[in-house]
Amino acid sequence: MKKILLTFFALSLVLSSCEFDKGFEEMNVNPSKASQLDVANKFASVVLQTSGGRYENWRASLIYQSVMIQHFSAVAGYWSGDKYYRNDAYATSLWDRYYPSAVKEIEDIRAQLTAEGNTGSEMGMTRILRVFIYSRLTDLHGDVPYSEAGQGYINGILKPKYDAQKDIYMDFLKELEEAVAQIGASTTLGVSDLVFQGDTAKWKAWGNSMMLRLAMRLSKVDAATAQAWAEKAAPNTMTSNDHIAMIAHTDGPEGINKNGHGEVFDADSNPRMSKTFVDWLKDDPRLPILAARRSDGSTAIADLIGMPNGSTGVTVPDTSIYAEPNRNVITGRAVPMVLQTYAEVRLLKAEMAQRGWSVTGSAQAHYDAGVKAAMQMLSGIYPNAAAITDDEVTAYLAAKPYDASKGLQMIGEQYWAATLLNEYEAFSNWRRTGFPVLTPTNDPGNVTGGTIPRRLIYPTGEGSTNKENYDAANARQGENNFTTRVWWDK
Amino acid sequence: MKTKFLRILSSFLLMVAFGFTVQAQSISGTVTDENGVPLPGATVLVQGTQNGVSTDFDGNYLINASSGDVLVFSFVGYTSQSLVASSVTLNVSLSPDNALAEVVVTALGVKRNVKAVGYSITQVDGSELSSNKTSNAINALQGKVAGVMVTGSAMGAKGSSRVVIRGSSSLTGDNQPLYVIDGITINNSNLGSAGMWGGADYGDGISSINPDEIESVTVLKGGAAAALYGSRASNGVIIINTKTGAGAEGVGVEFNSTTQFDMVNLSLRDTQEIYGQGRDFSKLSDNIDNYQAWGPRMDGSMITQWDGVSRKYSLQPSALEAYYRTGETYTNTVAVSTSGKNSNTRFSMSNMANTDIVPNSSLNRNSFGINNSNKYGDKITVDINMKYVIEGQEGNPQMSDAPGNGNFSANLFAPSLNVMDMMGEGGLGRNADLTEFRISDSSYSQNPWFAAYNFINSSDKERFIGAINARWDVADFLYLRGRIGGDRYTNSKQNSTPWGTAFQPKGSMSESEQTYRQYDADMFIGTDNLQVIDDVSLTAFAGIGTNNQQYEAYSVSGSDFIVPFLLNVGNTKNQGHGYSIWEKQINSAYGSAELGFDDWAYLTVTARNDWFSTLSQKDKVAPNNDLYTSASLSLVLSDALDLGETISFLKLRGGISQVAGGASDPYALSLSYGIYGQGHLGASLGNISGGTIPNSEITPFEKNETEFGMDLRLFDNKLSIDATYYDNETLGDIVGVSASATSGYGSALANLGNISNKGIELLIKGTLIQTEDFAWNASINYTNNTSKVVATNDAGGNISMDEPRSRNITVTHIVGEKYGALYGSSFVRDASGSIVHEMVNGIPLPKIGDRKILGFGVAPTQLGIGTSFRYKDFNGSLLFEGKSGGQVYSGTNAYLKRNGHHKITVPAGGREAGFVPTGVMADGSKITTSIPAAQQEDYWRRSYSIAEQDVVDADYMRLRSLSIGYNIPSDKLEGTFISKASISLIGRNLFFLSNSVDNLDPESAYNAGNSAGLEYFALPVPRTIGLNVNLKF
Repeated sequence: MKKILLTFFALSLVLSSCEFDKGFEEMNVNPSKASQLDVANKFASVVLQTSGGRYENWRASLIYQSVMIQHFSAVAGYWSGDKYYRNDAYATSLWDRYYPSAVKEIEDIRAQLTAEGNTGSEMGMTRILRVFIYSRLTDLHGDVPYSEAGQGYINGILKPKYDAQKDIYMDFLKELEEAVAQIGASTTLGVSDLVFQGDTAKWKAWGNSMMLRLAMRLSKVDAATAQAWAEKAAPNTMTSNDHIAMIAHTDGPEGINKNGHGEVFDADSNPRMSKTFVDWLKDDPRLPILAARRSDGSTAIADLIGMPNGSTGVTVPDTSIYAEPNRNVITGRAVPMVLQTYAEVRLLKAEMAQRGWSVTGSAQAHYDAGVKAAMQMLSGIYPNAAAITDDEVTAYLAAKPYDASKGLQMIGEQYWAATLLNEYEAFSNWRRTGFPVLTPTNDPGNVTGGTIPRRLIYPTGEGSTNKENYDAANARQGENNFTTRVWWDK
Repeated sequence: MKTKFLRILSSFLLMVAFGFTVQAQSISGTVTDENGVPLPGATVLVQGTQNGVSTDFDGNYLINASSGDVLVFSFVGYTSQSLVASSVTLNVSLSPDNALAEVVVTALGVKRNVKAVGYSITQVDGSELSSNKTSNAINALQGKVAGVMVTGSAMGAKGSSRVVIRGSSSLTGDNQPLYVIDGITINNSNLGSAGMWGGADYGDGISSINPDEIESVTVLKGGAAAALYGSRASNGVIIINTKTGAGAEGVGVEFNSTTQFDMVNLSLRDTQEIYGQGRDFSKLSDNIDNYQAWGPRMDGSMITQWDGVSRKYSLQPSALEAYYRTGETYTNTVAVSTSGKNSNTRFSMSNMANTDIVPNSSLNRNSFGINNSNKYGDKITVDINMKYVIEGQEGNPQMSDAPGNGNFSANLFAPSLNVMDMMGEGGLGRNADLTEFRISDSSYSQNPWFAAYNFINSSDKERFIGAINARWDVADFLYLRGRIGGDRYTNSKQNSTPWGTAFQPKGSMSESEQTYRQYDADMFIGTDNLQVIDDVSLTAFAGIGTNNQQYEAYSVSGSDFIVPFLLNVGNTKNQGHGYSIWEKQINSAYGSAELGFDDWAYLTVTARNDWFSTLSQKDKVAPNNDLYTSASLSLVLSDALDLGETISFLKLRGGISQVAGGASDPYALSLSYGIYGQGHLGASLGNISGGTIPNSEITPFEKNETEFGMDLRLFDNKLSIDATYYDNETLGDIVGVSASATSGYGSALANLGNISNKGIELLIKGTLIQTEDFAWNASINYTNNTSKVVATNDAGGNISMDEPRSRNITVTHIVGEKYGALYGSSFVRDASGSIVHEMVNGIPLPKIGDRKILGFGVAPTQLGIGTSFRYKDFNGSLLFEGKSGGQVYSGTNAYLKRNGHHKITVPAGGREAGFVPTGVMADGSKITTSIPAAQQEDYWRRSYSIAEQDVVDADYMRLRSLSIGYNIPSDKLEGTFISKASISLIGRNLFFLSNSVDNLDPESAYNAGNSAGLEYFALPVPRTIGLNVNLKF
């Protein structure tokens, strides 16, 4: 017995002298990851995430908005926006993708720049891009997490509150003003700046152009505020098609590098040009650039027929006779993703003038310049697009001169045409202005009572992971459906 | 080390040689019970050697022994007898031993008398896994062991298995048991599985084990039993010992061959066969909306179909029957055993060749095993176990989401369409230009033939498991044991979405290789059965151990093939690559002491401290280790008291235990950043890695368990009842608390989970008839487990697990509820429970309500009823197995309803007669509107969004296995070189006695993860019949 006790005593001595977790701290450091990166190594990523992947560009942008807004039309049942069907996953795809990528990354960069004491160009550029990211989310869904979003790690906020869209917009405008002011003559981001390649003057112009866009968004709900901010922004906006905010893409090597819309067109042969849009483009030099007949790619004007929205396999047995987005020009995987154009800016200024707000230049001058920019930008954005000449523009404007008596409608329609493949903007501007006047489809399966949706719904999963804030947002804004209007649309 | 190994190897080879040359006198005889009934399987051993044999079916034995050797005859439940080998014939009659000398293998391979064990432990004989085998050996345990839920899945022959013991003890972590094979822990990771977005299963770690090699399976269910395995045993332990050469006479050769056929159980499918392809009650001419069965009555008229060919609009053969084939599995094992005085060796080779029910899907597995045991002098024993497995998988079917999933399409073709018309060029589902022969207007729904023959999901796996166990009896009261072992595999995968696929016209592919290495080393010192003072004995040991795991993976991928169908990443336009690596380790110190009092009361205490690398970080304040203990008590009342003749044996047992566990993933304590992709226009792309918010102060979680049990045997052991009650709770479970996606992350790591399980396990066994010619036994095992999610996070928030592709339901852990609630969109109901409808375009449609708890995916109750008989040389067994109390979301049925296949979409009187939904309108009025045939699909398309409609009870009772065997009598084999031969007919999943799910097997999950209760276009669960032949030479 004694021997046993001695043995165990000796053993316990041996054990207690061992260091049982020796080397564990070193072992638990990931050898293939970094603990922090320079912002210069992060900025390009957040820009590409903002451009978006195939997922949300397919669903939120094309399957819902592009057909709701009648740029395109589709027969296939899963093109839910054409007939106002409810498909939760599609409707929430921008939300599902943006918050864990673009939002998370822009908040990470902003926190890092703040910690590093950066108050210059990099912070200004980050703030402008941040406003752009959230503007897509709030315009599409209404009240959304903003002031507390993307801060799961930074501030430990797992359940961000939904900010009222009004508050978000006021903050947007303040952010843009401050951001533009802090952008200097140069930036260290250079090659990471996939929007303007380090040209800070263009960033300042874009910041003001975004301010104009977001200010005008308030024209219906709060015209005075809209006017005040629009007038503040207008003098320093983009001045030519060289200022277009767009993200350059390449055809690979991986999905992240490609234009998300381009990836969709690669995989999905369903979209056709909407009859509404093709009819409107009659005698417009843009038509053969934007559209081609599905069956043979013909761009002869006589061959370009739009397919009515709301069509089904019963009403349209053969969809190949219709025009589709021109696959030789606008559907490429290497074409840029456009965020905001000079044409939009001039059309917004035309609207300001038409409304009698203070802006240099007449409504007609802005309108004409906007139409010209919209036509001539195509060859700059799409390498395969034929350039539209000054003469063609002049002829078009001569045939359809600006008529102040229906000025807002003409501006709204041109804006709609100029924002093809920037469906977020097209949908927002239509909701605000009511132009173009669209005839809704009325498929038996629609969930909107036969009206065009006024927003896309929240993910119902938020009712489980963020219930209090989700419920509060619905109580404030209205039922979580497709017909509830966002604040600026009321 | 190297020289030592060589010495061991050379002596082992010598022993093998020795086994061939041994010469001795043969002694034979019959072992019977006290009534003269032969005892098959009794052990006859030459005392002091490892030379032993088992009696055959008729109680006969033949052993080589020298004159004067002492032969020990033993049999479970009987008193052993020792006789001197004085003549060539020795017949022995054994008498029952009420004290029961049964020995069980417990934690760390320590053999203990069953009397002393204060917790529930179950042993299953290896023959139960090998005779009626499953391609994943562990599935054969289904319904056999109380407290152990083996959930079948619908993933084909290569599928992974889900085994959960005494309920899930972790909310989000691994809930499967630790597997210990010949003393060494192995990795049981899933090598790929299907999720919401689809994917294929590549099997798990345990599926590599050859069922023919399994000697026994021991299940350590509770913490008291498993505590010595430490943190990785918090979900219980399954100990598998493989066959050794012990007991072989000279050189024994055994050959086992099993042939099995898998067939889709078409009787489950019961869909409407009246209405054909179409929409809005109209035929769709020349349109490829092939999944829609909303057309008019099939009238036999000619119609131009989806491919432009005119065919009859009439009922076509079942697509399931035409698409799936008869699966075939051939398992052949040859084993050579040899046994000498101080050593025994067994070498086995096995091949399993399978063709699955899905076209072009196959599995081929070659296993080699060698087990050698050597005794050096009186004091040192060395056991060496090695297994080498080469496995090739081809054509693993994709499941769940539609892309690449042939099961999706095969389930949904309208009844007027024939899947054989879709075979395309060469039957490969292609057009002449090699592109996909489209069968749907959605590019994401594949031609099933194209999916089967052109998509590539294959893997090649090489695995080596090896262990050396050594024991040195230092003194009569002291031994030293050491073991070292490793599990190492390399898995190479190839995947390709082929050129010409509708949704990815230029295709893509990837090649990847994962290497996993794990080693265990333990050393302990102990004493066996030491008489401390009179009537008090001590069995104790103390040791240290380490477990280290390393993983490294490389991948290359490419998209846009330049030359179609040339499978080389270099042949793609856009190329990418991936790399990942991790390492983690657990170090431990542990000890156990068992005190026996007067041979009827036993107290066992254990203690273990684990240190976790995954919880270690510089400047961390919270501990990275935990000390935990267990105590168990066994009282053999039948030995202590006189309980009378009826009670042969009565033991009461009870235990309390703690087990601690660390974070399963390394590097989870801090945020990290990575560079991804290949940059963009000269810029590098960097961002935060991972979607979980890290937590630097994570500590080990603890699982506490209390169990009580009883082992009662009556009427000379003819009836036995083993009952256990347990109650366990996991505290501080490391969970990813669900974060709103708007936080930027999916979850946040925290020590906040708390889940409890309580339940009962009951095993009743009876010998109904026992005569010389006829024996009939029956057993019932019953399990009931009640789980409760006690806490999730500080705010009691939900933890969302998986969701199916329909995205209207999630498996969610909700405080106060059972584990794994099915939480999904519901009907809106009025006060009386009627479904509320709204009028849309003139027809009433159900309103879509909030997400609610619609059921629970884990069945709480399991019942196994088995019976076996023997009549002369015939034997048979049956096992009925059932589960109840759980629910399943059937995504397949959801689609069958949405697309007009399900019988529920045909109202009484047919669609033409109109359809009046059951329920009320929003104003409470009764629904009077009859939905005309052309609009009925709108009703079902709406209700598809409502998950409640498709959450149903997953109760069933089935004939899980059946076998009928015949042992060829030894006299008929005389004069042949065969010493023993048996043949049996086997069947699995033959039929259901009851099944509460429409059209499907209730166990049709598409993965083996924690999110039980989701079904979505996996493979059909087949019926299996087969033939097993066993020959010994």
